Amino acid sequence: MKTIEELKAYYETDLLPTLRVLDRDRKKNVYRLFLGILLSVTAPIIALYFFFGPVGLMVICFPVWIGVIIYLAISIGSYKKSFKVGIIEQIVRAIDPNLSYNASKAVDKAHFKHSELFKNSWNEYKGDDYVQGMVGKTSLEFSELHVQHVSTDSEGRRRASTVFRGLFLVADFNKSFKGKTVVLPDTAEKLLGSIGSMLQSWNVTRGELIKMEDVAFEKEFVVYGDDQIEARYILSTSLMERILAYKKKSNRPVRLSFIGNNVHVAISYKKSLFEPRLFRSLLSFKPIQEYFEDLSLAIDLVEDLNLNTRIWTKD
Amino acid sequence: MMVVGIVVGVVLLSFALMYNGLVRKKNQVENVFASMDAMLKKRTDLIPNLVSTVQQYMQHERETLNELTEMRAKAVSGQLSADEKIALQNQFSKALGGIMVAVENYPDLKADQNFIHLQSSLNEVEEQISAARRAYNAAVTSYNNAIEVLPTNILASMMNYQRKNVFEISEAERQNVDVKGLFNQ
Repeated sequence: MKTIEELKAYYETDLLPTLRVLDRDRKKNVYRLFLGILLSVTAPIIALYFFFGPVGLMVICFPVWIGVIIYLAISIGSYKKSFKVGIIEQIVRAIDPNLSYNASKAVDKAHFKHSELFKNSWNEYKGDDYVQGMVGKTSLEFSELHVQHVSTDSEGRRRASTVFRGLFLVADFNKSFKGKTVVLPDTAEKLLGSIGSMLQSWNVTRGELIKMEDVAFEKEFVVYGDDQIEARYILSTSLMERILAYKKKSNRPVRLSFIGNNVHVAISYKKSLFEPRLFRSLLSFKPIQEYFEDLSLAIDLVEDLNLNTRIWTKD
Repeated sequence: MMVVGIVVGVVLLSFALMYNGLVRKKNQVENVFASMDAMLKKRTDLIPNLVSTVQQYMQHERETLNELTEMRAKAVSGQLSADEKIALQNQFSKALGGIMVAVENYPDLKADQNFIHLQSSLNEVEEQISAARRAYNAAVTSYNNAIEVLPTNILASMMNYQRKNVFEISEAERQNVDVKGLFNQ
């Protein structure tokens, strides 16, 4: 399944029946949520009426609150799981039947670390919606990730800063290479012109600055690597054009790194992906289209970067 | 007095930084040229294998194959000047390009496992040569810029640093690009 028209047809024949069932489940969960809130609010009132003081809180309120939270977590969790298996997994299979989907798995931490795309320290790594398989001759895996740095400040409050949120992909690259080459969004040159470029060459955490000849590519990206020739061997003129086109298609910040014979791609999103709506109807086509576009963006990486062309010594 | 001392110190420091910068850029050019030379040699080394794999099939290209063998002998003899080396490598590119295009007429050869393996090696080496050329041009451009802009151009002329030439892509190279298009079918 490649086009929106095909998706629309698939949605009407295959997805709508499942969506109707899930929508009933959704409404039940909204009902349970409101009931739970109502219960949580009335419990203290009842407690205060029958018992005075902290005894009432402990005996009535705490069990009620904890019970409500656990019940809602289980109920809504199960609804989300059914949605992912019934809808997201089906869309993945329809795009490419060779791919497998696991709602609760994520790309291994080691890949993320190994990619060297985000050098800021992080200590919380969460992810879901894991897809894996062979696209032609290229092995591909990706998932949604939410990587944060969490700390408690002096007043004991939890502070979290996002290091990366979005889609993270790892694919087998079609050329063999020994070192590391990293392609990052070029913010300094965009803002500061040639001064920015000079500052970039002083960045010691990132290896040598590699100035590429493709002007349009250089405007969008800055390349660091440990070998001037190997970086250009990987980033041929045609690959640079393809990366630029891919970034424009995604319309989001895109980072790539070529390490360990793989290409790692991080596409940043500001919101959560592939989650079902709770307070709005599931039956509309718009969220389905979004799921499809985000999944296709990831799966199309292989074709878009021409990774199935295996004319060099790596098969 | 102190102010004069500081000014002199700053001037000397700038001189040292500029001098070092120029030397680094000159060395980078030589470094990349050496790597490119190594890759060109890799390609030359593939020639005997190519000729022996191909000659049983390609009856009509005997002449070109003999040329290739002769050119290789010349390259290996080590008696060429830098300019002659470059001219020879350009001839190599042209001859190899011609052979690869002619292969399209010999389906048996195209299916031969030895040839397929050889083709990947050649593609890889061509890609590396192309990368080395681009890296060389980048190094030369950086060097040329440094010896021509103010204020480093003053120091550069004192050090007698001359402008270097970038590698022009010869017509043969352009043909090579078309050959890759054939492989992608």
